[in-house]
Amino acid sequence: MIMRLKDCHNFGDFRKLAKLKLPSPIFHYIDGAADDEITYARNTSAFDDVDLVPNVLRGVENVDLSTTIFGKKLDLPFYLSPTALQRLFHYDGERAVGKAAKKFNTMFGVSALATVSVEEISSLIDTPKMFQFYFHKDRGLNDSCLERAKAANFDVMALTVDTITGGNRERDLRTGFTSPPKLTLSSLFSFATKPMWGINYLTKGKFELPHLQDFVKEGTSTNSSIGNYFSTMLDQSMNWKDAEKLCSQWGGHFALKGIMSVEDAKKAVDIGCTGIMVSNHGGRQLDGSRSPFDQLAEIVDAVGDKLDVICEGGIHRGTHMLKALSLGAKACSGGRLYLYALAAAGQPGVERALELYKSELVRDMKLMGCTKISDLNRNNLRFRK
Amino acid sequence: MSLQNCYNFDDFRKLAKKKLPSPIFHYIDGGADDEITLKRNTKSFDECDLVPNILASVGKPDLSTTIFGKKIDMPLFLSPCAMQRLYHHDGDKASARAADKFGTFYSMSTMANNTIEEISNISGGPKLFQLYVHKDQSITDDLIDRCRRSGFDGMCLTVDTLVAGNRERDHRTGFTTPPKLTLQSLMSFALHPSWVFNYLTHGKFKLANVATKTDKGTNIAKSVIEYINEQYDPAMNWKDAEYCVKKWNGPFALKGVMSVEDAKRAIDIGCTAIMISNHGGRQLDGSRSPFDQVKAISDAVGDKLEIILDGGVRRGTHVLKAIAAGAKACSFGKMFLFSLAAGGQQGVEHLLKNMHEEINRNMVLMGCKNLKELNSSKLIYRTSNKI
Repeated sequence: MIMRLKDCHNFGDFRKLAKLKLPSPIFHYIDGAADDEITYARNTSAFDDVDLVPNVLRGVENVDLSTTIFGKKLDLPFYLSPTALQRLFHYDGERAVGKAAKKFNTMFGVSALATVSVEEISSLIDTPKMFQFYFHKDRGLNDSCLERAKAANFDVMALTVDTITGGNRERDLRTGFTSPPKLTLSSLFSFATKPMWGINYLTKGKFELPHLQDFVKEGTSTNSSIGNYFSTMLDQSMNWKDAEKLCSQWGGHFALKGIMSVEDAKKAVDIGCTGIMVSNHGGRQLDGSRSPFDQLAEIVDAVGDKLDVICEGGIHRGTHMLKALSLGAKACSGGRLYLYALAAAGQPGVERALELYKSELVRDMKLMGCTKISDLNRNNLRFRK
Repeated sequence: MSLQNCYNFDDFRKLAKKKLPSPIFHYIDGGADDEITLKRNTKSFDECDLVPNILASVGKPDLSTTIFGKKIDMPLFLSPCAMQRLYHHDGDKASARAADKFGTFYSMSTMANNTIEEISNISGGPKLFQLYVHKDQSITDDLIDRCRRSGFDGMCLTVDTLVAGNRERDHRTGFTTPPKLTLQSLMSFALHPSWVFNYLTHGKFKLANVATKTDKGTNIAKSVIEYINEQYDPAMNWKDAEYCVKKWNGPFALKGVMSVEDAKRAIDIGCTAIMISNHGGRQLDGSRSPFDQVKAISDAVGDKLEIILDGGVRRGTHVLKAIAAGAKACSFGKMFLFSLAAGGQQGVEHLLKNMHEEINRNMVLMGCKNLKELNSSKLIYRTSNKI
């Protein structure tokens, strides 16, 4: 039984500890995905269909894990994807995650549905920051998000393009998960059995969505499921023209998050993006869709020399990152990668997770006979089929 | 557990299991031999992946497709299934009304418990009749004539039941039709009193369409297997099929085609459609799954007849994958029978509503405005992963 942070040695351990700490609707909101969760499982198992081929006798005492994306040099070849509602998982929420990212000098992604404001994040950390943006029907809200992120010195703007409607997250339907959490007869028991979570949630500052609450009630003062939020608040008519306009309105590094086809990756180049996240939203939107790692090579071949290709989703291990980087990703990112650790123990939890992945990467690079990320290439890989 | 909590196949299946005496539940739930093909039918969808397009401003996608000369509102319909009154006392009436409500095909089995005429009276929606070639040709002729008079839109001839499959669950439970009380099934019937009450109080169980012609399956308790083996003509050949196509003289499908070669012959004898199917894994275990085979068949004959994928479909994304691989529509049996058992007409409507929502949501996430846009470029088979 995993009871303490120091017993956590991998992704699965953090997950278990998070399960112990969180009321079940909240745990399952993180842990669940769309429909039968086939894509969610594939996102990780895709890495197992390819093997690493090490080189020996290379002199590997010093390993440099740094990589440069969006013009920023990071000490790690992976960063923390923007995820919503972090203060539901731990009362420090984005503050904890941001400070941990700063300590390791990697990028911190802040969601439009974050529970701490961009201004506060900016005052806490001076390391690279990404703001993740949803295209709302309310244009005033959109402009406000962009302006505030710019004023707060965010380095990258990422427009999420795979949530044009809400995914079918059946676990949330069963647990009745909403934001803010709603006490129902069926969830009462699970909240009652996690009293520390309840005490912290109620005593450590009001739950807010600071980027949205001047414009919408949903998520802050009225309960909304995330699927319902996507389906009703976001603009389903969003098209390439809108994305292009946002890209030039932002005027800095701009990425589309949720690209899966080669065709769309090329269009992203055309509208001026400097990066894309190959992602299926952690399997939470279209079940049966392709995994980022399965699709990575094709996309890198088509646009890898024109923009930064990020592999997002399914990453549980340092070796997963090595495989993605060998195929040509500039960096990897993940959400659950650090969310379970956040729920397990706040900032020390996230720091422990980052330290573990970092030491895995260093060990695995040495075992591969590589001393820097650019040493990794497709000669290191063999596909089984 | 209630109908409102049913979101997916497993939910409907669980609720059906609770409501049905076990021999009847296992008759729906089971397949042939070791049920390898039954499992593969669904599993095969997981070995290829959809590739969405973004920023496509899809709006409200058009889910309609045209099969058997009828435009239907969604590319999924109810497969013909025998003896629906065993699963719910409203039987075929419930299924037909639900399908009508959602603008899609209801299909009637030769072995239905309602007559062609009864169903035609209660549903103006698209209707398909499923035909078995009987040893006594006058039975077959009579069925075709009555369907024409009753305004059925299409006819399908089942070609994968020349002999009955080895359904071992039925051997064990002693499933017969009409249900026979044995010592071993007594307990299970006793535990489902409301099923028994409804069964006994809602009209006599009969194979309504063939009742005047044979007393098998109606007055004498027979296993379905024995019925198939006694009544259906195992010598049925392409000539017999062609005879039925000509006699019907309208949209006509062979149900149970699995090889490319047979699909081509279906065109030659005048079929307008085929249903790629292994009878839901209930006949030849170890045979190929419809989804594994659909692309090869579609590449060969997709421009000459309508391809319907029947078997293993449990999700909106399964339908999307089938269409991207070349099918015009899908049909399903087990899943809708569970919903029928779970809640009668209301159950089937709840299922069709779920599936309609899933197909709609997934089309939006795929960035497709209509089913035509859902072509083979949107589907990648994993075996093509190479560098």
